[in-house]
Amino acid sequence: MQTPQFQGTHLFDRLCWAKENLDGVQSDYRVVYEDSVDECAKILVPDPNWMACALQGGILPPVQVYWELAKDEAKPDFVKHTRGHLLHNTKPVEAMTEEQAIEYLIMKDCPQHVWRDWDSGNKPKLVICRKEQLPATREWRNAWKISEELATDETVAA
Amino acid sequence: MALGKIKADTLEHSTAGSIATNYVVEGTAKAWNFFDGSAGTIAYADSFNSSTLTDIGTGNYKYAFTNNMSNANFSFGGAAIIDETTFGLLSGTEIAGSHARSTSSSGGFWTTNTASVNSSANANSISTQIFGDLA
Repeated sequence: MQTPQFQGTHLFDRLCWAKENLDGVQSDYRVVYEDSVDECAKILVPDPNWMACALQGGILPPVQVYWELAKDEAKPDFVKHTRGHLLHNTKPVEAMTEEQAIEYLIMKDCPQHVWRDWDSGNKPKLVICRKEQLPATREWRNAWKISEELATDETVAA
Repeated sequence: MALGKIKADTLEHSTAGSIATNYVVEGTAKAWNFFDGSAGTIAYADSFNSSTLTDIGTGNYKYAFTNNMSNANFSFGGAAIIDETTFGLLSGTEIAGSHARSTSSSGGFWTTNTASVNSSANANSISTQIFGDLA
Protein backbone atom coordinates (compact mmCIF):
# COMPACT_ATOMS: atom_id res chain seq x y z
CA MET A 1 0.00 0.00 0.00
CA GLN A 2 1.27 3.44 -0.91
CA THR A 3 1.62 5.94 1.92
CA PRO A 4 -0.23 9.19 1.19
CA GLN A 5 1.82 12.38 0.95
CA PHE A 6 1.82 13.14 4.66
CA GLN A 7 4.19 16.09 5.09
CA GLY A 8 2.09 18.85 6.67
CA THR A 9 -0.58 16.41 7.90
CA HIS A 10 -1.01 16.26 11.69
CA LEU A 11 0.92 13.27 13.03
CA PHE A 12 -2.16 12.08 14.95
CA ASP A 13 -4.09 11.89 11.66
CA ARG A 14 -1.28 9.86 10.14
CA LEU A 15 -1.45 7.43 13.06
CA CYS A 16 -5.21 7.10 12.48
CA TRP A 17 -4.51 6.25 8.83
CA ALA A 18 -1.87 3.71 9.84
CA LYS A 19 -4.16 2.08 12.41
CA GLU A 20 -6.80 1.63 9.75
CA ASN A 21 -4.54 0.48 6.93
CA LEU A 22 -1.49 -1.31 8.36
CA ASP A 23 -1.21 -4.54 10.33
CA GLY A 24 0.81 -4.34 13.51
CA VAL A 25 4.29 -5.88 13.48
CA GLN A 26 5.45 -7.54 16.70
CA SER A 27 9.23 -7.25 16.75
CA ASP A 28 11.35 -9.94 18.38
CA TYR A 29 13.97 -7.33 19.26
CA ARG A 30 14.29 -5.98 22.77
CA VAL A 31 16.57 -3.27 24.11
CA VAL A 32 17.97 -3.91 27.56
CA TYR A 33 19.51 -0.91 29.30
CA GLU A 34 20.70 0.19 32.71
CA ASP A 35 20.44 3.88 33.53
CA SER A 36 21.30 3.57 37.22
CA VAL A 37 23.64 1.24 39.05
CA ASP A 38 21.11 1.06 41.87
CA GLU A 39 18.24 -0.15 39.69
CA CYS A 40 17.50 -3.28 37.72
CA ALA A 41 17.79 -3.47 33.95
CA LYS A 42 14.96 -1.95 31.92
CA ILE A 43 13.53 -3.64 28.82
CA LEU A 44 12.38 -1.43 25.96
CA VAL A 45 9.72 -3.08 23.78
CA PRO A 46 8.74 -1.68 20.35
CA ASP A 47 5.07 -0.92 19.82
CA PRO A 48 3.64 -3.10 17.00
CA ASN A 49 1.68 -0.27 15.38
CA TRP A 50 4.68 2.06 15.56
CA MET A 51 6.86 -0.65 13.98
CA ALA A 52 4.35 -1.00 11.14
CA CYS A 53 4.65 2.77 10.53
CA ALA A 54 8.45 2.59 10.58
CA LEU A 55 8.57 -0.26 8.06
CA GLN A 56 5.98 1.43 5.85
CA GLY A 57 7.80 4.77 5.65
CA GLY A 58 6.51 8.28 5.06
CA ILE A 59 4.63 8.49 8.37
CA LEU A 60 6.99 9.16 11.28
CA PRO A 61 8.98 12.36 11.81
CA PRO A 62 12.79 12.24 12.10
CA VAL A 63 13.95 11.37 15.62
CA GLN A 64 15.70 14.75 15.85
CA VAL A 65 12.25 16.37 16.11
CA TYR A 66 11.72 14.66 19.47
CA TRP A 67 15.10 15.91 20.67
CA GLU A 68 14.10 19.47 19.79
CA LEU A 69 10.84 19.14 21.72
CA ALA A 70 12.70 17.65 24.68
CA LYS A 71 15.06 20.63 24.67
CA ASP A 72 12.09 23.00 24.76
CA GLU A 73 10.54 21.08 27.62
CA ALA A 74 13.75 21.21 29.63
CA LYS A 75 13.70 25.01 29.71
CA PRO A 76 12.69 26.42 33.12
CA ASP A 77 9.99 28.65 31.63
CA PHE A 78 8.36 25.85 29.61
CA VAL A 79 4.56 25.85 29.82
CA LYS A 80 3.45 23.96 26.72
CA HIS A 81 4.91 23.05 23.36
CA THR A 82 4.90 25.84 20.80
CA ARG A 83 6.88 23.91 18.20
CA GLY A 84 4.57 20.90 17.90
CA HIS A 85 4.42 21.77 14.20
CA LEU A 86 7.83 20.10 13.89
CA LEU A 87 6.06 16.76 14.36
CA HIS A 88 3.60 17.51 11.58
CA ASN A 89 5.53 19.64 9.08
CA THR A 90 8.99 18.06 9.03
CA LYS A 91 9.49 15.71 6.10
CA PRO A 92 8.66 12.15 7.30
CA VAL A 93 11.40 9.54 7.30
CA GLU A 94 11.53 6.93 4.55
CA ALA A 95 10.87 3.24 5.22
CA MET A 96 13.27 1.74 7.74
CA THR A 97 14.50 -1.78 8.23
CA GLU A 98 13.55 -3.35 11.54
CA GLU A 99 17.11 -2.83 12.77
CA GLN A 100 17.09 0.85 11.79
CA ALA A 101 13.74 1.21 13.55
CA ILE A 102 15.23 -0.20 16.75
CA GLU A 103 18.09 2.32 16.55
CA TYR A 104 15.52 5.10 16.08
CA LEU A 105 13.57 3.93 19.15
CA ILE A 106 16.73 3.79 21.26
CA MET A 107 17.47 7.41 20.34
CA LYS A 108 13.86 8.40 20.97
CA ASP A 109 12.87 6.57 24.15
CA CYS A 110 16.06 5.55 25.99
CA PRO A 111 17.78 8.15 28.17
CA GLN A 112 20.44 9.95 26.11
CA HIS A 113 23.13 9.39 28.73
CA VAL A 114 22.68 5.66 28.20
CA TRP A 115 22.93 5.42 24.43
CA ARG A 116 25.40 8.24 23.77
CA ASP A 117 28.20 6.36 25.57
CA TRP A 118 26.70 2.90 25.79
CA ASP A 119 30.09 1.15 25.51
CA SER A 120 32.08 3.19 28.02
CA GLY A 121 32.76 1.87 31.48
CA ASN A 122 33.39 -1.67 32.63
CA LYS A 123 30.41 -3.27 30.91
CA PRO A 124 27.74 -2.36 28.38
CA LYS A 125 24.86 -0.19 29.57
CA LEU A 126 22.71 -1.13 26.60
CA VAL A 127 22.22 -4.37 24.68
CA ILE A 128 19.95 -5.20 21.75
CA CYS A 129 18.80 -8.80 21.91
CA ARG A 130 16.05 -11.16 20.84
CA LYS A 131 13.21 -11.69 23.27
CA GLU A 132 14.17 -15.37 23.53
CA GLN A 133 17.42 -14.26 25.17
CA LEU A 134 15.55 -12.77 28.12
CA PRO A 135 14.30 -14.76 31.13
CA ALA A 136 11.07 -16.58 30.30
CA THR A 137 9.34 -15.57 33.54
CA ARG A 138 9.36 -12.43 35.71
CA GLU A 139 10.74 -14.22 38.76
CA TRP A 140 13.25 -11.96 40.57
CA ARG A 141 12.45 -9.24 38.00
CA ASN A 142 13.84 -6.47 40.20
CA ALA A 143 17.23 -8.21 40.25
CA TRP A 144 17.69 -8.47 36.47
CA LYS A 145 21.00 -7.02 35.27
CA ILE A 146 22.91 -7.07 31.99
CA SER A 147 25.30 -10.00 32.13
CA GLU A 148 28.76 -9.15 33.44
CA GLU A 149 30.13 -11.58 30.89
CA LEU A 150 29.30 -9.31 27.96
CA ALA A 151 32.30 -7.27 26.84
CA THR A 152 31.91 -3.87 25.19
CA ASP A 153 33.99 -4.95 22.22
CA GLU A 154 31.72 -7.86 21.34
CA THR A 155 28.78 -7.83 19.00
CA VAL A 156 26.04 -8.79 21.42
CA ALA A 157 22.95 -8.29 19.28
CA ALA A 158 21.92 -11.29 17.25
CA MET B 1 -3.17 13.93 1.09
CA ALA B 2 -6.25 12.46 -0.58
CA LEU B 3 -8.44 12.13 2.51
CA GLY B 4 -11.88 13.73 2.83
CA LYS B 5 -12.35 16.53 5.34
CA ILE B 6 -15.45 18.05 6.91
CA LYS B 7 -14.99 21.37 8.64
CA ALA B 8 -17.65 22.18 11.21
CA ASP B 9 -17.91 23.82 14.59
CA THR B 10 -21.11 22.00 15.62
CA LEU B 11 -22.66 18.58 15.11
CA GLU B 12 -26.47 18.57 15.35
CA HIS B 13 -28.75 15.58 15.79
CA SER B 14 -32.33 15.75 14.53
CA THR B 15 -33.83 15.28 18.00
CA ALA B 16 -31.07 14.77 20.57
CA GLY B 17 -29.51 18.22 20.38
CA SER B 18 -26.10 19.44 19.25
CA ILE B 19 -22.51 19.29 20.36
CA ALA B 20 -19.56 21.53 19.54
CA THR B 21 -16.86 19.65 17.62
CA ASN B 22 -14.20 20.87 20.03
CA TYR B 23 -15.86 18.57 22.59
CA VAL B 24 -14.92 15.72 20.28
CA VAL B 25 -11.40 16.98 19.59
CA GLU B 26 -10.57 17.76 23.22
CA GLY B 27 -12.49 14.90 24.77
CA THR B 28 -11.14 12.08 22.64
CA ALA B 29 -8.52 9.73 24.10
CA LYS B 30 -5.12 10.63 22.64
CA ALA B 31 -3.47 7.31 23.42
CA TRP B 32 -4.44 3.90 24.75
CA ASN B 33 -2.95 0.46 25.14
CA PHE B 34 -3.58 -3.05 26.41
CA PHE B 35 -1.02 -5.67 27.45
CA ASP B 36 -0.20 -8.58 29.74
CA GLY B 37 2.23 -7.23 32.33
CA SER B 38 2.86 -10.63 33.88
CA ALA B 39 4.49 -12.19 30.81
CA GLY B 40 8.22 -12.85 30.87
CA THR B 41 8.69 -10.59 27.88
CA ILE B 42 5.87 -8.08 27.82
CA ALA B 43 4.49 -6.46 24.64
CA TYR B 44 1.45 -4.43 23.68
CA ALA B 45 -1.39 -6.59 22.38
CA ASP B 46 -2.85 -3.44 20.87
CA SER B 47 -2.39 0.28 21.26
CA PHE B 48 -2.67 3.71 19.70
CA ASN B 49 -0.18 6.59 19.60
CA SER B 50 2.53 4.61 21.37
CA SER B 51 6.13 4.09 20.31
CA THR B 52 7.44 1.85 23.07
CA LEU B 53 6.50 0.07 26.26
CA THR B 54 9.31 -0.24 28.80
CA ASP B 55 9.46 -2.90 31.47
CA ILE B 56 10.95 -1.01 34.43
CA GLY B 57 10.60 -3.75 37.04
CA THR B 58 8.00 -5.71 38.97
CA GLY B 59 4.63 -4.07 38.31
CA ASN B 60 6.34 -0.97 36.91
CA TYR B 61 5.96 0.12 33.30
CA LYS B 62 6.64 3.15 31.11
CA TYR B 63 4.79 4.23 27.98
CA ALA B 64 6.01 6.64 25.29
CA PHE B 65 3.99 8.58 22.74
CA THR B 66 4.52 8.90 19.01
CA ASN B 67 2.65 12.23 18.94
CA ASN B 68 3.72 14.10 22.08
CA MET B 69 1.21 15.72 24.37
CA SER B 70 1.40 19.52 24.63
CA ASN B 71 2.90 19.24 28.13
CA ALA B 72 2.98 16.83 31.05
CA ASN B 73 -0.38 17.95 32.44
CA PHE B 74 -2.42 15.22 30.81
CA SER B 75 -4.84 12.80 32.41
CA PHE B 76 -3.96 9.14 32.83
CA GLY B 77 -6.42 6.37 33.64
CA GLY B 78 -6.45 2.62 33.52
CA ALA B 79 -7.30 -0.73 35.01
CA ALA B 80 -5.45 -3.88 35.98
CA ILE B 81 -6.17 -7.42 37.08
CA ILE B 82 -3.42 -9.22 38.96
CA ASP B 83 -4.72 -12.73 38.31
CA GLU B 84 -7.96 -14.72 38.24
CA THR B 85 -8.69 -14.09 41.91
CA THR B 86 -7.04 -10.75 42.64
CA PHE B 87 -7.97 -7.23 41.63
CA GLY B 88 -5.29 -4.72 40.77
CA LEU B 89 -4.85 -0.98 41.00
CA LEU B 90 -2.92 1.46 38.83
CA SER B 91 -0.88 4.35 40.16
CA GLY B 92 0.43 6.99 37.78
CA THR B 93 3.56 9.04 38.17
CA GLU B 94 3.60 11.88 40.65
CA ILE B 95 4.03 15.59 40.00
CA ALA B 96 7.20 15.81 42.07
CA GLY B 97 9.15 13.52 44.33
CA SER B 98 11.26 10.41 44.15
CA HIS B 99 9.18 8.75 41.46
CA ALA B 100 9.98 10.00 37.97
CA ARG B 101 7.23 12.28 36.73
CA SER B 102 5.63 12.25 33.31
CA THR B 103 6.87 14.37 30.44
CA SER B 104 5.09 15.39 27.25
CA SER B 105 6.62 12.33 25.58
CA SER B 106 6.23 9.59 28.17
CA GLY B 107 4.94 8.52 31.55
CA GLY B 108 5.15 5.62 33.94
CA PHE B 109 2.88 3.72 36.26
CA TRP B 110 2.74 0.94 38.80
CA THR B 111 0.30 -1.91 39.22
CA THR B 112 -0.43 -3.09 42.73
CA ASN B 113 -2.33 -5.88 44.41
CA THR B 114 -5.43 -4.64 46.27
CA ALA B 115 -4.41 -6.81 49.22
CA SER B 116 -1.11 -4.95 49.52
CA VAL B 117 -1.49 -1.65 47.73
CA ASN B 118 1.91 -0.20 48.57
CA SER B 119 3.83 -3.00 46.90
CA SER B 120 4.01 -3.23 43.13
CA ALA B 121 2.80 -6.47 41.57
CA ASN B 122 2.74 -7.80 38.04
CA ALA B 123 -0.73 -7.72 36.47
CA ASN B 124 -1.92 -9.91 33.62
CA SER B 125 -4.42 -7.50 32.06
CA ILE B 126 -3.45 -3.85 31.96
CA SER B 127 -5.25 -1.15 30.01
CA THR B 128 -4.52 2.56 30.07
CA GLN B 129 -5.93 5.67 28.44
CA ILE B 130 -4.52 9.17 28.06
CA PHE B 131 -6.62 12.32 27.70
CA GLY B 132 -5.36 15.83 27.15
CA ASP B 133 -4.03 18.16 24.48
CA LEU B 134 -1.66 17.09 21.74
CA ALA B 135 1.49 18.98 20.75
